[in-house]
Amino acid sequence: MAFSRIELIFILGLSALVLRALPQLFLVGKSFPETWDRLLRYLSYALLCGLISITLFMTGARFEAQTAPYRGIALALTIEIAYKTKSAVTGMLFGMVLVLVFSWMR
Amino acid sequence: MMSFAPRFRQGMKAAIPIWIAFVPSSLAWGITAQAHGLTIGEIVLMSAWVYSGPAQFAVLVPLAEGKSAATVLIAGLLMNLRFLPMSTALAPFFRGVKRWPLLIASHVVSASSFIVPYLQFQKERQASAGRSVADGYGNLGFFVGVGATSFTVWVVGTASGYGVALGFPSGLEEALKFILPGYFAGLLVAEMKGWTMPLICLASIVTAIPGAMFDPGWGWLATAAIVAILGWGLEKWLSRA
Repeated sequence: MAFSRIELIFILGLSALVLRALPQLFLVGKSFPETWDRLLRYLSYALLCGLISITLFMTGARFEAQTAPYRGIALALTIEIAYKTKSAVTGMLFGMVLVLVFSWMR
Repeated sequence: MMSFAPRFRQGMKAAIPIWIAFVPSSLAWGITAQAHGLTIGEIVLMSAWVYSGPAQFAVLVPLAEGKSAATVLIAGLLMNLRFLPMSTALAPFFRGVKRWPLLIASHVVSASSFIVPYLQFQKERQASAGRSVADGYGNLGFFVGVGATSFTVWVVGTASGYGVALGFPSGLEEALKFILPGYFAGLLVAEMKGWTMPLICLASIVTAIPGAMFDPGWGWLATAAIVAILGWGLEKWLSRA
């Protein structure tokens, strides 16, 4: 069965909404046992870190070897600054400036 | 306890770095999608209805090239699987909220609108020794303040991207690309305690690269899930030993 693009986008959005809404509708207000709470937290954080990694170091299936060392250094220093200052925005701004400086130096 | 409106404003303020980060990425999406032959209606519909940057980019080529529906849908579904644990982790904080507001608000669950409220709720729960979970509508206000405003920026940016070419100098574009991952990393690390979380985050960052090289759609999702489960199992095992 062939679908038009609009139909495919509609089904895609619907599947995304189901994944987003099911826990909200059926697990709202429920407290999970500590161990499951931890697993959920670890899963979410690991997925975020995966997303950070592919956003910074990958273009599709290609590893951006030329820019990866610079971005890696900027990320490491962002983490260091955010940890020391306990401020995500300060860390991010520092990392951004660093990326900018690196791009001018290259 | 705070009501919806002040918490919404609080969420909006917390979302400002996300808005800044969404401007170049949404413009880029609009431009790329147009280059692949999608119409303005399809582009805006996708941003507003699917609202998932990684999934939108992942399905763009198969969608534009007329690949099979299964290819498009499976690629999108795999990318969106990350919403399931994120939405589940947020659910306990919305205690007492009715289903309709939850259903509508859940549409704006994304990586950004998960991490900012989740860390805020955790911080508030710790500050009140575990008692602040009950202010469901207040928490929903904060979540919607982050999520709905970021969503608006994403959709408007997408529509604008259709019409304009990216005029950012390449260096500036690279710096803008750093905003969101840099902000996520900063948020995560500012809240880290113990050894398990840093280990999981580091392993996930490293293994995502071979994962994405193996399959850019689901490879990094699989490595992240494996790393999280292994870290969780190791922590349980060590606490028993």
